[in-house]
Amino acid sequence: MKRFVAPVALSLAAALLVGFPIWSAPWESSRYATGILRDMLILGILALSLDLLVGSAGMPSLGHAAYFGAGAYAAAIAGQRLGSDDLLLGLGAAILVSAFLALVIGSVAVRAAGIFFLMLTLAFAQMVFAIAFQAADITGGSNGFSGVRRPMLFGLDFNGPDALFHLVAVVFLLVLLLAWRLRSSAYGRALVGLRENERRMRALGYDTTRLKLSAFVVAGAIAGVGGALQAYSIRFVSTNDVGVARSVEAFVSVLIGGASTLVGPVIGAIVVLFIERVMPSYIAFAETVLGLVFIVFVLAARQGIVGLVRASYARVRA
Amino acid sequence: MIETRELRRDFGGIKALAGVTLKVAEGERRAIIGPNGAGKTTLFNVLTGELEPTAGEVRLAGEDVTGRRPHELARRGVARMYQRNELFDPLPARDNVAIGVAAAAGPYRPFRTPPASELAAADELLERVGLAGRGSVAARALSHGERRQLELAVALARRPRVLLLDEPTAGMSPAETSRITDLISSLDQSLTLVIVEHDMDVVFRLAERITVLHEGRVIAEGTPAQVRGDTLVNEVYLGKVVA
Repeated sequence: MKRFVAPVALSLAAALLVGFPIWSAPWESSRYATGILRDMLILGILALSLDLLVGSAGMPSLGHAAYFGAGAYAAAIAGQRLGSDDLLLGLGAAILVSAFLALVIGSVAVRAAGIFFLMLTLAFAQMVFAIAFQAADITGGSNGFSGVRRPMLFGLDFNGPDALFHLVAVVFLLVLLLAWRLRSSAYGRALVGLRENERRMRALGYDTTRLKLSAFVVAGAIAGVGGALQAYSIRFVSTNDVGVARSVEAFVSVLIGGASTLVGPVIGAIVVLFIERVMPSYIAFAETVLGLVFIVFVLAARQGIVGLVRASYARVRA
Repeated sequence: MIETRELRRDFGGIKALAGVTLKVAEGERRAIIGPNGAGKTTLFNVLTGELEPTAGEVRLAGEDVTGRRPHELARRGVARMYQRNELFDPLPARDNVAIGVAAAAGPYRPFRTPPASELAAADELLERVGLAGRGSVAARALSHGERRQLELAVALARRPRVLLLDEPTAGMSPAETSRITDLISSLDQSLTLVIVEHDMDVVFRLAERITVLHEGRVIAEGTPAQVRGDTLVNEVYLGKVVA
């Protein structure tokens, strides 16, 4: 009996999440809340993919928006140039382009570690940003790429805001499932080994350069999926999507929520967007709050929100 | 099993290895001794591929493996117990060993939980090094002696053909020293051992042959009895220790 409790509870939570626009419809601010929640889930996807690097493998990338933006542009441009609304085509293009970009950049970046890795990923992301800015014929440059077509799949039309929310929520859940599976797999354990002691990993016969590159590509591809969903959501792609601010947003989400804790990055994404998007309606200087929260977590709670919850839970039980 | 020919390694103007030729037979237990700075650790770093030699050759089971990277040598059967443990500190002892056991199958199994056989093999190794029942303790929470035992288990996890032991008894109490010496001595006879050690009692207990390094050169080689009787060795090394 007990063994069924967790799966049933999780399925129920998943259904509630996907069905949010339906059961929240009576609320006055349902539409607004749906939009915010959708963006939280998209940032959550980006943060989950970044946590694979930062949390699991100990690779602090500060240029993760490059792959997110590449996915956004790829989905938008593929839809426009091929005149197709096919979701699989859009997501496929996003995954291919962002994974390829991660492969190219990662081939160089994974040879460095620590702060040098961080600086390299940032520098490459700035290059990608510059390209997006300059190649105005393809990307729209500083004007952005507008009129992104919303996708269809097997006759299902994701044009309406509710339908699009269902899509984002389902993809988010799939990414969460993937992250959970990776964590408990031999692959995830090897990434943790990489984080904790690369020298020992090499001495055991692991090709650590290849392993790091694989993680970089997988994380890039997942970030690309997030980017595609973002493009579909706001029907617009701008250079902000490849910009450093987005990279920082994802990084801060991971650290505030708790690196390498599975749900931590998602909680972090929710907190970050809550502060950025909801709080300004109620208080002044909301942006400053995010900075303060970040400082407090870096100084006092390295394990993030999930770490704090775990610690207090342990104290209560003891 | 493992041999070097005229191996040289310079660091700037310093010749850490100045032409080392040695040949360790399969299943042999060889100790390498010498004063600090003799080049023992540099030799190990070259043998594991962590350092490239400036000149010379390394052969493993007849194959030229000079300049191969560490993971390639590990896959060919070279393992090392580091002087300063190289462990996965926050992970349980069992996972430390299991990551080593899993190395043979490789890390690219993203969707499957590691098979129970890997954990069973890890538990077996933990029992073998005297850490039975300590599998769920984080590596960092073990005592110094236990961490050395775990380091040995991790080094053995890939079933190596050659095991390099870098000061296995460093920093241990007499009781711990005696325990790990027994443990090493009880390892499979087909496993080739190369041991760097300062404790001469341990060296004479474990080694069948001894190579003496001094200033990057081999100055003597032979059975423990021969080496003990060598005047040059007594002068540069043993004299200071045994007295």
